[in-house]
Amino acid sequence: MIWMTWRQFRTQAVLGIAVLVLLAIYMVVLGEQIRHSYNTDAAQCAKGSCAGVLSEFTSQYNLQVDVLGYALIVVPGIIGMFWGVPLITRELESGTHRLVWNQTVTRGKWLAVKLGFVGLVSMAFTGLYSLLLTWAASPIDAVNDNRFSPLVFDARNIVPLAYGAFAFMLGMTFGLFIRKTVPAMAAALVLFAVVQGVMPTMVRPNYVTPVSQTVALTKAEVGSLSFFGAYGTVGGVSVPGGPWIVSTSDVLDSSGKDVGHTSWWSYCVNVASPAQLPECVSKENVHVDVTLQPASRYWSFQWMETGIFALFAAVLAGLCFWRVRSRLA
Amino acid sequence: MTPVLEAKGLGKRYGRRRALTDCDLSIPQGRVIGLVGPNGAGKSTLLQLACGLIKPSSGTINVLGSRPGTSAAQLAKVGFVAQDTPVYANLSVADHLRMGARLNPAWDEQLAQRRISQIGLDLGQKAGRMSGGQRAQLALTIAVAKRPELLIFDEPAAALDPLARHGFLENLMEFIVDLGASAILSSHALSDVERVCDYLIVLADSRVQVAGDVTELLQNHHRLSGAKNELASLPPGFEVVHADHTLSGSSVIVRTDGAPPVGPWKVEDIDLEVLVLAYMTRASLPTARTVSKPLEARR
Repeated sequence: MIWMTWRQFRTQAVLGIAVLVLLAIYMVVLGEQIRHSYNTDAAQCAKGSCAGVLSEFTSQYNLQVDVLGYALIVVPGIIGMFWGVPLITRELESGTHRLVWNQTVTRGKWLAVKLGFVGLVSMAFTGLYSLLLTWAASPIDAVNDNRFSPLVFDARNIVPLAYGAFAFMLGMTFGLFIRKTVPAMAAALVLFAVVQGVMPTMVRPNYVTPVSQTVALTKAEVGSLSFFGAYGTVGGVSVPGGPWIVSTSDVLDSSGKDVGHTSWWSYCVNVASPAQLPECVSKENVHVDVTLQPASRYWSFQWMETGIFALFAAVLAGLCFWRVRSRLA
Repeated sequence: MTPVLEAKGLGKRYGRRRALTDCDLSIPQGRVIGLVGPNGAGKSTLLQLACGLIKPSSGTINVLGSRPGTSAAQLAKVGFVAQDTPVYANLSVADHLRMGARLNPAWDEQLAQRRISQIGLDLGQKAGRMSGGQRAQLALTIAVAKRPELLIFDEPAAALDPLARHGFLENLMEFIVDLGASAILSSHALSDVERVCDYLIVLADSRVQVAGDVTELLQNHHRLSGAKNELASLPPGFEVVHADHTLSGSSVIVRTDGAPPVGPWKVEDIDLEVLVLAYMTRASLPTARTVSKPLEARR
């Protein structure tokens, strides 16, 4: 049965391996370049004038690393569509399930081998990709101090392995229940995208109760913010140590009152030049309240996320077995 | 001896549609069984139940003593060629044989190779580029080379032209003899069945109309012809399968369990075609269904 699965999956597997090899070569080269720049910059940093050097270092490689990360977030969806879905629908659409189910192999075993073999290949693909990217980007991540932020978290270490397994099982399950390749592909992609949107924004922040903290808007802090709203909202608050900032309050004064509608705030945001802004805001002695997940929780979050997606995949696999054993013609 | 196929109250419905209703069968081993009936009568449903592709909605079915499709040992005993003989379009003939060899412990490589060269199939050819006849032959070879005790064919000759059909049925019979297996084949063409089968099941309107050994069936059915009033009052113990009244006279097909009824009418033997047609016609008449079976609540 393994031979049969391999024979049917061969073309797709070769294509997948080719893509992975190309990506691997690129990431190894990129990783070496990043390390080289990092060492040079760190040496210069030791002599003084560090801040400018490091920000130049990250901006030099942010684009490549970000694109590779986004691609790794998308890859499981593609695996689900092109490896997961056709694994079953191709048999159902051409009627060959009626041929293979009458060989001396029970349907349960047939499904187990297909699911196990291609599922492991899917996990190997996302796993290796993640391993390489995590290695290549590690100096950048260290300087950016942002590996806990959703888009980076999703594309490093062990979670991509679970995403691969989940997306593959999602494709396979939709294939089995919808029985048509194209609609199943669309459904699998849509649901995968929804899950990947909902998990980091609504579920993941609550794996462990977030910690509340007050962040004073000092001149340096204001300088690093990425967004100023007209009515006292700000974005991009950074807290040393690399925690994940889950939520940020409006800007508050020392008595805890919202400053969004004061004349000085609108003056700072609308009239003052960007160069004057940090001075303009920080002299009012204001702060924001944030909730955050401390950096020390990074690995427990990686494991929890992996566990949850592994559970999803296991439930889907159970559904597939139930369907194939009891209902399908 | 275990019956090759035993069904009790077997039924299958798809949603509200009944594909097979209340089917009782017990077929002895070593026979070549023909399953005939009009399109949509439930032939495919019965055969798919027999090889375990689908599960019954009601009743039970046992093939060679156990539930179909439940274990590898049971799967090994039954070879099935589905309707339109599916094969993997992007795999070559050699790949198909390799699949057969890997997936069937009892695979007979010699038999497979011999049949392939007899049919004249090129081992390197992709199945997707073969003709319907070649595909059917390949599917047949795979089903046979696993050396099953029962071969099931669902409309095996439906897609073939008359010549290919002839060759295919001939091959099929050779296989059955070679293996010493039983076989069930369905067809809507009676001529196919007549040539190769010694046991007949007529399926119409999702029910088994009649089933039995072909010779016995022919012995037990007669055509009586005479005047309409004479035939209107037959003695008890005879089941009227079909009656045909015309101006010049009437003829009825009756089923007996021994000698035909004696009377002022003329008694004739009938051939298989007349017999099958009589049962199929009866099933197609909306009222006739009650003749031999108690009325059942429909829907």
